[in-house]
Amino acid sequence: MKQLNYDVVIIGGGPAGMAAALKAKEKGATVAIIERNDELGGILNQCIHSGFGLSYFKQELTGPEYAELFINQVATTGIDVYLKTMVIDLSQDRQVKAMNEDGMLLLCAGAIVLAMGCRERTRGAIKIPGSRPAGVLTAGLAQRYVNIENRKPGERVVILGSGDIGLIMARRLTLEGMQVLGVYELMPYANGLYRNIKNCLDDFDIPLHLSTTVTNIIGHPHLEAIEVAKVDENFKVIEETREVVPCDTLLLSIGLIPENELSQKSGVSLNPRTNGPLVNEELETDQPGIFACGNVLHVHDLVDNVTLEAEAAGAAAAVYALQQKVEAMAGENRSAKNKSTIPLGPGENVGYTVPAKLTSPTKKAARILFRVRKPLENAEVIIQSGKKIIYQGKPRAFKPSVMEEVQLNPDEINGLKAMSDQNSVALPIIVSVREVKQ
Amino acid sequence: MNHYDIIIIGGGITGTAIAHECSKYKLTAALLERGTDIGIGATKGNGGVVHPGYDPTPGSLKAKINVRGANLYPKLARDLNFGIINPGMFVIGFTDADEAALKHKLEFGIKNGVRDLAIINADQMRSREPHLAANARYALYAPTATVVDPFEVAIAFAENAKANGVAILTSQPVTAIQKKADGSFLINTPDQQLSCSYIVNAAGNHADDVARLAGISEYQMKPRHGDLLVLDKDMVNKPKTVMFPCPGPDTKGIACIPTVHGNTIVGSTATMMDDKEALNNYAPGIQALIDGVHKILPELDAGKIIRTFAGLRPVVLNNNNDFFIAESLTVKGFIHAAGIQSPGVASAPAIAETVRDLLDDAGLEMKLKPDYNPFREKKPVFGTLSIDEQDFLIQKNPAYGRIVCRCETVTEGEIVDAIHGIIPARTLDAIKRRTRAGMGRCQSGFCQYKVISILSRELGLPVSDICLEDRGSQQLCGSVKGGVK
Repeated sequence: MKQLNYDVVIIGGGPAGMAAALKAKEKGATVAIIERNDELGGILNQCIHSGFGLSYFKQELTGPEYAELFINQVATTGIDVYLKTMVIDLSQDRQVKAMNEDGMLLLCAGAIVLAMGCRERTRGAIKIPGSRPAGVLTAGLAQRYVNIENRKPGERVVILGSGDIGLIMARRLTLEGMQVLGVYELMPYANGLYRNIKNCLDDFDIPLHLSTTVTNIIGHPHLEAIEVAKVDENFKVIEETREVVPCDTLLLSIGLIPENELSQKSGVSLNPRTNGPLVNEELETDQPGIFACGNVLHVHDLVDNVTLEAEAAGAAAAVYALQQKVEAMAGENRSAKNKSTIPLGPGENVGYTVPAKLTSPTKKAARILFRVRKPLENAEVIIQSGKKIIYQGKPRAFKPSVMEEVQLNPDEINGLKAMSDQNSVALPIIVSVREVKQ
Repeated sequence: MNHYDIIIIGGGITGTAIAHECSKYKLTAALLERGTDIGIGATKGNGGVVHPGYDPTPGSLKAKINVRGANLYPKLARDLNFGIINPGMFVIGFTDADEAALKHKLEFGIKNGVRDLAIINADQMRSREPHLAANARYALYAPTATVVDPFEVAIAFAENAKANGVAILTSQPVTAIQKKADGSFLINTPDQQLSCSYIVNAAGNHADDVARLAGISEYQMKPRHGDLLVLDKDMVNKPKTVMFPCPGPDTKGIACIPTVHGNTIVGSTATMMDDKEALNNYAPGIQALIDGVHKILPELDAGKIIRTFAGLRPVVLNNNNDFFIAESLTVKGFIHAAGIQSPGVASAPAIAETVRDLLDDAGLEMKLKPDYNPFREKKPVFGTLSIDEQDFLIQKNPAYGRIVCRCETVTEGEIVDAIHGIIPARTLDAIKRRTRAGMGRCQSGFCQYKVISILSRELGLPVSDICLEDRGSQQLCGSVKGGVK
């Protein structure tokens, strides 16, 4: 079995993995990317629509174009790329067991960046009753079939869930000559970005049925129809609204789940609110030297945000690995440093925060990302520790589909350290979004 | 036209076990299965428990066959190389009435010849299952209970039978049966006509329909429907033991079942149906499963459900819930192996022996074949190998170095092996049952397009012809505009 050593090993060669690798390389680390598919780029390769790069590159790109800009950079910077290579085990001491057509590989890393992305929720997860025919598939799989394999899943399509992939696919399938009969969403609001509702549904006269869900799958051996029904505010089916919609294809766009089965093998703890690792402001998990970024950490709506996050993780991983090497030579121990941890978590109307803890004292501003649980017409972000308000935003509208960001300055965090020291309890920092009466 | 001594109708676990038994003897036999693969009726729609045999009424056919069958499993698993685990079983009592019922079942079990049964107390249960409901007071403990993958067992039976000379013919629904003057039978399928001296009817839920084709109306059947759930391997606090509640009259109740591959199955509900194809899942049934398993394991995380499925238990009406295994009273040489409801998986090997004896009684000469090979070789299962073995395998064939299903670590080499196996896999679900590609938490979201393209390449069929399972279950309908032909 082949054995190799790197300062930083990046697991996953999608947008997160590539951005992390480039930053780690820039910091002077030796870097390897392990990618299971035939090429770098991840899911971007099948996202042939435009709308990527508006904030990061200040221009509108398709998914493959956005990926290409990174693939070209990776190719010229001396990063080792292992394609068609699958990581099958990851240990706490950062040994990566992988395989490809040449055999098994063992990569020993000073630091790891987890960048494996996410998977789609399936029919089983939401337990839709009915038969189990051909013609029911996730929106991402349909995207693969149509955009890469050039295959058509069906002619008359219904989409369950208003996640972005489902909305994008509504337009794609329409452009490919399939008939998209409607998008059904359990919640009273759309889950995807506003621009996707507008550009992918409204512009093509595809109806969006809110507070409506699929209650039965009909047909064997192939899908023949679905039954849909309206739900009340407790998501209970309103019986008299049951209606059968004939169709031959049902796409599911019902959410994404960070893929952390590998992370867990190395002992990384997950945040039950995100299904991603619990990380600090350096994006380091609770396993020293293992970092996470992109959709494996939490599900993003814009790849531009993934890139920013991954650059931070890649830089932090390189610094960690290089510092470990120096300390090993000098016989020092990094863990001896006098640092403490302040928990950070969601309060009113907030679903989760990334990071879930902050290290103090710090010299850097901490970037805090979060999402609201429900749409709010007029509300303000309030970040507080106990009764002390650290941050208060301007009143505005919030949507669950949009990831929010707040920067906390070092002195705000370090000040808290002093306070929690006095009380000898680290009071958690709570991020809330409070409604403001106009 | 091909003539066989025996034609077995039905390729479920019962039919394949009978084929496997017949393959030991100097005779000619064929098995006809209406589906595109074997083991896809009641065999794939159950929890895989090899019931130890405390449940059937002593003296019933079921009682005798169940215990004998369960005892045959460990050796069969070694010889035929299929997965088996021995988690043992708790039948849990919550009330005084339950305790009395459990004692009753203990007596049944002892009379039926089940080994090592005991009633244990709450502490003894909890030392093995710490997350058990607080109000669980006693259990009938059956340490010998095992669990298998029923379709894997059926495939193993069929492969061994085929290797020993039995013809295994899929996609062969029987459309007509004719008894000739010389006592032999003519059997029609849409493709062909076959003749045989004896028929074994192992047609599951359709056994009465098949019997009727031969002019036999000795019994009527209805399916008893069950919903089941599969939970992810990475669920925390997974049960280690098969756990049933104290049983009801028609069902053993809703149980949690550790599977051979590390998932947990919850099953199953029990509802008599009229429609023999009613393989739907029903919302109240799924809810009943979740509620039912929470009575045993209150903390079980229903968020870890990755799949729901359903099964239909073949029930012969007015037969005291017993099996119906006998030669027809009206048509000589026609043998029924019908009404194989629970515990059909446990009973299959013993049903095969019973059918063998019935064939012998009916006049067929049963002489053992000296060259019978009782062993089935298994193709490599990449995920179960050591790292050195994995490396060796990839060096030999790089297709084992290409992961197709990431959730279950299934390689292209294994999928190709399944397609060219003794009983070839020709559909997505057939691949799934043999290799577990698509069986994991993403439910084929990431690997389906790869498996379709491998099937298409290996079978020389267009991708739009590749089916999920039954005829007409193509997953793709053609090419996009300007796409490949």
